[in-house]
Amino acid sequence: MIWIDGVLVSQGEGGVYHERMLGGARVWDPHRSKLSALYYSGKGVELTSGMRVLYLGAANGTTVSHIADYVEVVYAVEFAPRPMQDLLEVCRRRRNIIPVMADAGRPEQYAPLVESVDLLYQDVAQPDQSAIVLRNCVFLKPGGTLILMLKTRSVDVRKQPGEVFRDTIDLLTSNGLGVKESEWLTPFHVDHAAIVCIKLKT
Amino acid sequence: MQSYWFGDFGDGRCILFTGDINAFIDRIQSVVTHMDSYVPPDWKQAVVCGACQDRHQYLAKLHDICMAAAERSIREQYSKKDAELLQMVRTLDEIDTVINLLSEKAAEWYLIRHPSFSRKYRRTPSHALVKTMHDKSKGALGKVAGEIEQLGITRTILAKEVSARANDVIPNTSALIGGLVAARLMSNAGGLLPLSRLPASAIQVLGARTALFSHLKTRSPCPKHGIIFQHRRVHNAPRNVRGKVARVLAGKLAIAARLDYFRGTADPGFLESAQNRIDGVGRESGP
Repeated sequence: MIWIDGVLVSQGEGGVYHERMLGGARVWDPHRSKLSALYYSGKGVELTSGMRVLYLGAANGTTVSHIADYVEVVYAVEFAPRPMQDLLEVCRRRRNIIPVMADAGRPEQYAPLVESVDLLYQDVAQPDQSAIVLRNCVFLKPGGTLILMLKTRSVDVRKQPGEVFRDTIDLLTSNGLGVKESEWLTPFHVDHAAIVCIKLKT
Repeated sequence: MQSYWFGDFGDGRCILFTGDINAFIDRIQSVVTHMDSYVPPDWKQAVVCGACQDRHQYLAKLHDICMAAAERSIREQYSKKDAELLQMVRTLDEIDTVINLLSEKAAEWYLIRHPSFSRKYRRTPSHALVKTMHDKSKGALGKVAGEIEQLGITRTILAKEVSARANDVIPNTSALIGGLVAARLMSNAGGLLPLSRLPASAIQVLGARTALFSHLKTRSPCPKHGIIFQHRRVHNAPRNVRGKVARVLAGKLAIAARLDYFRGTADPGFLESAQNRIDGVGRESGP
């Protein structure tokens, strides 16, 4: 990852969402992007130029645009038309983002498009988000990395965030994933946890 | 055999798919994939097939197809009849909020300029007060009052349009509860499809979110009605039967919403029986 004086940046054409520029690079704001917040905590995986990424819940393409600056190709899955409009605008200028308008919970809808990826990143606000990510693990290479942004309040408002977190860890480990590290994203994002897993070779 | 966007691949053989971009979009939207035997595509297979010469070309081609597919999906979603109605009714409600906020502020300002003026014991409707402010105030205050009046005119036009559109898009629901309220229900549910999927009990308390969650969390009483309170049958009903009327109305609305989504035309038979049932609640146990 590229840091300039303790500020995380990515190399690419700016102006995607009026982000600040620093030394010609785009500042990757941890308050806006959960992935950036994860890197600020000193954890997460190094993004490299040969990487293929499947991004579930791409939304307006803010985080996607930064990832695309680092890696070879990003498959960006988003279901809702309104954010997709913005995402397409980002895709027009970043040709290494492949937009996929489909429901991340139904991978069969976009299976003919998405190749095996090195990194599976998920940031969807769904109560069954861990089940959704498990269904998408077919796209992940053995040994590949899964980063799950757990929105505990979207999973179940009545449960304690810690409880939701433990349940999710149990579910992931019992489905062929090894949890490498995890981190609460406070103060940047409240009640959000990042879970980094490795897909075990079977 | 695996079906990918560029062709069908299996046993080392490949059947290349050819056609223009629209043909590719139709293909990726219609291909059925069985996930238990699925293997993700590999760009090298596409080269073997002859779909492209190298990885760069593979990604470029896929990018163009996916862009066009997404654009088409967005167009299809937006051309659904409920999409515009949703935005219209949300704008209408927002204009209401703005008018109220601005009138309050302007009234406070006007009171400072006219220390002897008070709204106590006057039955001045707020739009009449705005008119007074517009006529009697100079400078910016008069302008503000004028803007509020203009907004009021816009609001009236928009409300008529919402009502007419709702009668067209959701005829059954609109016939039961009125176009405006029907549109608000739909907007709160997030669209016609989500509304048609809601159980009657949810439609009954749609728009009473805070009360509902406070009921679920603590022991506060359950809300009897949300948006449907705006229907005269509910708010005119005597207190003791209001919940009952709301429940029956919500039950009929749930059926009406499904008729609207799946059939799209008004069903006079259903509407008549539903109306009788709703009217009956007030009578059988009225005061």
